[in-house]
Amino acid sequence: MGKGATQIDNTIRTLRFHAGEMTQAALAEKVGVTRQTIVAMEQGRYSPSLEVAFRVARAFGVPLEQVFQYRDETE
Amino acid sequence: MTYKQLNASVMILSGAGIAAWVVWQAMSDPAQDLENVAFRLLYAIGLNIIINIVLMILATIVVSVARREDLKDERADERDRSIADKSLRNGYFAVSIGGLAVIVALAFGQGPIFAAYLLFGVLLLGGLVDPVSRLVYYRVG
Repeated sequence: MGKGATQIDNTIRTLRFHAGEMTQAALAEKVGVTRQTIVAMEQGRYSPSLEVAFRVARAFGVPLEQVFQYRDETE
Repeated sequence: MTYKQLNASVMILSGAGIAAWVVWQAMSDPAQDLENVAFRLLYAIGLNIIINIVLMILATIVVSVARREDLKDERADERDRSIADKSLRNGYFAVSIGGLAVIVALAFGQGPIFAAYLLFGVLLLGGLVDPVSRLVYYRVG
């Protein structure tokens, strides 16, 4: 968990939209976290553990790197 | 606001209220001996626990009525646990520094009554740093 904005971007909002406007609560239920954690992830305020990241990807049926992208500040 | 955030807010409110009450009592009716002070502080700790429970019940009812849905405590996930750990660490840090301040105060000639009040203040501070940290971490990530 980082301080403030993290260096990890994600496409959770878009993926939820493409999954028939899946609600944050529904995704939270699938992943096994609270809705607040999904909100924090979408807003880039929280980087999940690798395990939760995989569970999010699995919930959408896509590879991990399609959900999370590491933003390298040096690039 | 989630149940956990409400709980932290209630802890801050009751802790601050008890601190104000103890300071007011110490100013208006100073205790003469250490035993008396210790009983007052024990009373304040007990009162703090009771006020916390009552306030939490009332706040849960008020928020539930306002939202028209039950405010329930969700099962803690990894973010909740991480925030709880970091907040507890901050509280522990505050208590450690405060504990040192009590010893320093005694070493520099302060009396046991002052030290008892200071110790109580330190414990209360630790109890406030924890929920304040939780609220901050929930907000900023």
